[in-house]
Amino acid sequence: MEIAEKLGTRRIAIIGNPNVGKSSIFNQLTGLNQKIGNYPGMTVDKMVGYFNKGEQRFELIDLPGTYSLLPKSEDEVIAHKVLNGQGEEKPDAALVILDACNLERSLLLGTQVMDLGIPIAFVINMKDLAEERGLQIKTFALYQALGVPLVMTDARNNQGIDTVKSLFIEDKFVVGKPFHELDFPELLGVVQEKFGFSQPYQAFQQLIFASFDPTLSEEKRIWLEERAKAFHFDPQEQQTKETTDRYQKIKELLSKSVLSGTNEPRKFHGKLDAIFLHPVWGYLTFFGIMLLIFQAIFAWAEAPMYFIDSTFASLSSWVVETLPPGVFTDLLAEGIITGIGGVVIFIPQIALLFGFLAFLEDTGYFSRVVFLMDRIMRPFGLHGKSVVPLISGMACAIPGIMASRNISNSKERLITILVTPWMSCSARLPVYVILIGLTVPDEAWMGINFQAIALLVMYLFGTVFTLLGAFALKFIIKTKEKSFLMTDLPIYRMPRLQTVFLTMFNKSKIFVFEAGKVILAISIVLWVLASYGPSGRMEAVEAEKIAMLENATDSEKEEIMHVYASKELESSYIGILGKSIEPAIRPLGYDWKIGIALLTSFAAREVFVATVATIYSVGEEVEDELTIRQKLEKQVHADTGEKVFDRATGFSLMVFYALAMQCMSTVAVVYRETKSWKWPVLQTIFMTIIAYLGALATYQIFS
Amino acid sequence: MTAAGLNNNTVHEIASITNSNLLVRMMEMGVLPGKKISLLKKAPFKGPMAFIIDGNILALRIEEADLIHLKAE
Repeated sequence: MEIAEKLGTRRIAIIGNPNVGKSSIFNQLTGLNQKIGNYPGMTVDKMVGYFNKGEQRFELIDLPGTYSLLPKSEDEVIAHKVLNGQGEEKPDAALVILDACNLERSLLLGTQVMDLGIPIAFVINMKDLAEERGLQIKTFALYQALGVPLVMTDARNNQGIDTVKSLFIEDKFVVGKPFHELDFPELLGVVQEKFGFSQPYQAFQQLIFASFDPTLSEEKRIWLEERAKAFHFDPQEQQTKETTDRYQKIKELLSKSVLSGTNEPRKFHGKLDAIFLHPVWGYLTFFGIMLLIFQAIFAWAEAPMYFIDSTFASLSSWVVETLPPGVFTDLLAEGIITGIGGVVIFIPQIALLFGFLAFLEDTGYFSRVVFLMDRIMRPFGLHGKSVVPLISGMACAIPGIMASRNISNSKERLITILVTPWMSCSARLPVYVILIGLTVPDEAWMGINFQAIALLVMYLFGTVFTLLGAFALKFIIKTKEKSFLMTDLPIYRMPRLQTVFLTMFNKSKIFVFEAGKVILAISIVLWVLASYGPSGRMEAVEAEKIAMLENATDSEKEEIMHVYASKELESSYIGILGKSIEPAIRPLGYDWKIGIALLTSFAAREVFVATVATIYSVGEEVEDELTIRQKLEKQVHADTGEKVFDRATGFSLMVFYALAMQCMSTVAVVYRETKSWKWPVLQTIFMTIIAYLGALATYQIFS
Repeated sequence: MTAAGLNNNTVHEIASITNSNLLVRMMEMGVLPGKKISLLKKAPFKGPMAFIIDGNILALRIEEADLIHLKAE
């Protein structure tokens, strides 16, 4: 029955060249109705969106942008798997987005998809740009030649989207007649049979993908390679031939249906590029734009972060007051709520950073930055595209590491991911501020304050180590992949705010749910370690405290509470752990109290402030850096009577925080991006060793 | 001569592309024999070069540009 047939979900894959406006169209069709999943065994995210028309539901799969279906990276492997139903459910249809100003190039992909035998339709986007260039596209002639429905759109200005929707609703997708003629009929026939393909081109693709698909079984791979050898099928040669032949045919086809205009980039864009690509102005404007962005992030994130901090603190207190006292209440209030708060407080900064990055990328500016920075990045084993992760690492490494996805060379991407945490992130700032205040005189030299210079030195220090680390890794990590740049510098466009917000929203969501799980788990573990101690000790301290409070005057009570908070921490598991590592950290100039702070900071660097406040009995509510600093200044070693936080210790501590891996969120994200625990674990161990050695050297030099 | 040797923005025609494992990728991005190419900008210190090919701006490293052979004028 017709009605019954229409129910259920129609699945359509969307594919197109990079910078063709595919995401714009995808976003307009699906809005907030998007979901991010993953392809097993791959790093690329699975972007899926939905829209409904009456009873009918449409699921749209946004495939990664690519110039062809021939394998070069994971992007093409995914397109191949999805469109051929290999390990992924095959869609009912495919929508190919073409570039009105680049029909020749985009039809390479278009005709390849046609030859897979899947029902398709074409969308020719950016028709406004084509009109400006005087390009006339005879859509009917094109339709006749290709045999596939065409819709002209200008996605940025909302034109044609309804027509695209009607393609879905009225199911206008059609299986085109095969475009490209293939050789090797017997070989293709044999492969077709083995894999259950309906079209010879699918078999052709499978042969080419034999060595590229990481999820293909060993048995199948060997079978394909042997068959190819038997028939003298050289994948590399065949790809070149296919591409050349296709272009030939496409050119002929287009000569009859497209009248070209001037086909030059707009004058205005030329003026922008004159600045952005300029050997001097280019770098200066980049520097200026980065400064503006960081300024905005710090300024705009402050209020929401403060709000989140106080909300979670209130929530925690409310739980303690309302629920009956006991382990569960404490776990909820201090472990879980604090842990979740620790994740949520990241959100304003990260979301803003994602937003700005998406904004800049959408304008087309980033490819210019990559162009300017490539030469500088290469000696360090990095790619021009590494500049985005590194720069964003100065605010927070997490969006940066997630952004390293678009570096296609796996070695360059891995090195970028591994060294980005050495860029001085904003979490280190509270630590630096307190320690610099304790150890560097507040005087000026030639009009510049010493303390400001010290802060700048710390930032430079981080950057230097990042580059040194990358340089070292260049020799350690091996790959056979060739490095290349070859990118499009797309037309400058005003970014669509909808796209920017959706990207911001989706990426922040990924962070909250993925990194969030890890952070929550570790927060709870740390809370347990800090709240419980070996039998008897903590209870004894508690009893002592109660006794002291009974005999104390009201004014003394607060002081007693603070002193005993510190003593309780001392007798907890983590306090004992701190004491046990003391011999190891003495040479760095630290005592067991600082040791505890180092351990808790493993969760997040800024936890240093809260921990130090507790250990030195400042009181948990006081996070005022000035108050903390005053307390720290008075601390003396019990045995020698000398200051704990002297210059040597202070510098050594700053070096430690600059170099150590003290951020669970980063560890979680590195795991996600490298798809294994090997790298984040190695990274943590290695960074901690370097931090130890660096701090050791610093202390020995300055003491 | 190759595209790596271009110094000004005169328009040339691509004669051929050296065979390498970047060949298919280049063709996919629209670098094809017969197309017109001109230099837009060079990044400093022997950095990448930006070319205009068929109305698109393409950034290539010097060694990549060296694969594109131009028709002698």
